[in-house]
Amino acid sequence: MPVKTGRPRVIGAIATALIVAAAGTAAATAKQAHTARKTIQFGQIADFTGVGAAVISYDNASQLSAEYAINAAGGILGEKVVNVPIDTKSDPADGLVAVERALATNNIGVVTGPLTDTAPVVVPILQRHNVITVCPCGNPNFDHTSDPYFWRLVPPDPVGGETMALFAKRNHLTRVAAVFGTDQGSQGDLPGVLFGVKAAHMRLVANIGLTPDQTSYRTQVEQLIAAKPQVIFTESDGATAATFFGELKQLGKLVPIYGTNATIQTPYLNALDAAIGTKNLSRYYRGEANASARTSPAASAYNAAVTKIANRLPKPLSQWLGNPFVEANYDGLIMAALAMDASHSTNPKVANSWIPKVTEPGPGKTIVYSYAAGLRALKRGKKIEYIGAAGPIRFDKWHNSFPNQAMLTVKPNGTPVSSFTIPATAIEKLR
Amino acid sequence: MNSTILLQSIGFGITTAAVIAIGAMGFTLQLGVTNLLNLSFGNIMTLGAFASLIVERWHLGLVPTILAAPLVGAVASVLLARTLLAVFARRQNGAFELLMVTLAAGLIIEYTLDALAHLQVFQFQFPSGATVHLGPFVFTVLSLALIGAAALVLAALLAALHLTRLGKALRALSVDPKLARACGVPMRRMINLTWIVSGALAGLAGLVYVTNSLTISAGAGLNFLVLVIAAAILGGAGSPVGAVLAALVIGVATEVVAAFGGSYYSQAAGLAILALVLVLRPSTGMWSGPTRDEVTV
Repeated sequence: MPVKTGRPRVIGAIATALIVAAAGTAAATAKQAHTARKTIQFGQIADFTGVGAAVISYDNASQLSAEYAINAAGGILGEKVVNVPIDTKSDPADGLVAVERALATNNIGVVTGPLTDTAPVVVPILQRHNVITVCPCGNPNFDHTSDPYFWRLVPPDPVGGETMALFAKRNHLTRVAAVFGTDQGSQGDLPGVLFGVKAAHMRLVANIGLTPDQTSYRTQVEQLIAAKPQVIFTESDGATAATFFGELKQLGKLVPIYGTNATIQTPYLNALDAAIGTKNLSRYYRGEANASARTSPAASAYNAAVTKIANRLPKPLSQWLGNPFVEANYDGLIMAALAMDASHSTNPKVANSWIPKVTEPGPGKTIVYSYAAGLRALKRGKKIEYIGAAGPIRFDKWHNSFPNQAMLTVKPNGTPVSSFTIPATAIEKLR
Repeated sequence: MNSTILLQSIGFGITTAAVIAIGAMGFTLQLGVTNLLNLSFGNIMTLGAFASLIVERWHLGLVPTILAAPLVGAVASVLLARTLLAVFARRQNGAFELLMVTLAAGLIIEYTLDALAHLQVFQFQFPSGATVHLGPFVFTVLSLALIGAAALVLAALLAALHLTRLGKALRALSVDPKLARACGVPMRRMINLTWIVSGALAGLAGLVYVTNSLTISAGAGLNFLVLVIAAAILGGAGSPVGAVLAALVIGVATEVVAAFGGSYYSQAAGLAILALVLVLRPSTGMWSGPTRDEVTV
């Protein structure tokens, strides 16, 4: 059927859409303003859409479980916490606009996020608005930040590389190949891994980039084999990893695969499992992560909270229990909430300086492992030290805290099977 | 650089080209006849791949697995043309508006698959067979089968287009639809046939993609679409031979650049060739560009 241009109709349609969108935004803003008077808003700055969306469930798990734990204990100063999702669309420019808009139309005092891909652009905006920022980002430029509102409970990216290097050295593997996706997230972690290889005096025999979602990586596989590595340090999206390692397996040339903490996620592990098989996953793959204190009362408190909100997360529940990445974010929110309680203020300008006061050890302090216990102690007039699900929180002067690290053997759904701990002190010696 | 790897990369490039070529032939056929840039083509390809994956998981055998992808691709393609596109075409929307409709349809397919697949990546169990050395090149039995499939599709398309009345009618339609209609070419039937063949080739491309890459995710087709469009444009719209040659250039270029250590730039290199050709192309022959501005769906 032949057709002609219908420009006036299109312009009309666009105009209608804009009017409808504007009306919707106005209504939403009014509703949010109404909500803001009764509750405390916690922002969740994350990649809800775009290339980073595959891991959004991890953000949801930490945010929702922390908010559940806080609200179940009665909220902060009697006010319930509500979640405000802010979608960066996995893009710094989009993230900037989304955060500016969210801060303009809400009363957000605390956020988790942004992630590594958008953090350099978004974090300064949060600082300007005095928002307590629990950042799960690995960017090394935050290692020595002067931003008073920035708090990081995940290790900076180089720590991942250093941990993998120390573990490889322990296993007498010295010839390393770096196999990283050319996507922004993977490339963001590559310098840290290369730093770790160099710091541990290992030999980098190949540095191979994988453009995501190619139909084949045979040339890169041949390059890898020619370099004769003893171990592969890697990060990419799941589909890319599956194709690359599937082809490597077909040629019978699998060697130990050490993945960054970004690889300990179900989509990646499922893909790798499908490509190389469960037996090979268990035999060759190790993932780098915070060493979780899985048996501590804090870990039990986290597990109880995440179990309560499990119906809002992908199954199975086991993948969220003891997950180091999720625990770190959860701890950050609990810590911020306790700081508000301790300072008797939900104003981030006041509560921010109380964060070290509720996490640092000290004489006469009551050690607490959950929000409810912390709140009870504070109400009794006690000073507290909150020990997180991921372990004690010890901020340096740049507000960075990272616990001991571990190399994990995992099930395809991400559930840790066994782990080998690399002490934080050993990592610091490399720096 | 290791010269063995360089030569091997050319062989791998030929395999990659075969995968791109099947999609590009389907895309260029539909572009040539309808003059519509169908941005949902990559998603229909993914849909076909998932159809084969499901049949394979049901253990229904090799033949149903192979047939599922083109069948679902053809059905999805015709449905798109006869429903969404037909509705918008009836409202006198032009080429740009219809292009946006195909983009929207593609996104609907992708996000639906994403939701159903829970963002997972699936493996496709297809034995690659033994390694075969042909001179300096290294292939697997599977990669040779993929190259054979691409050659077979090309031969079948050329035979259909040049040796049958149906093919003549399609070619006439692609050159001048008004004149073709005036000469008694059954337009609706020919257009439907085009969508069926193009959709079947999209599905087949999905199957070929997934057998080569071993995995499939909901977003795979979108990335692959870039290469398919590049090959179709580089080869000249409506020219299956051009599409195959262009796929060969892009496939080999991407692998050779990767072999030179530039895997970060491999895809960019393939697309740079496309840009170069578009700038330098002659204004006659297969690169003469579109001669009509009318979309026929």
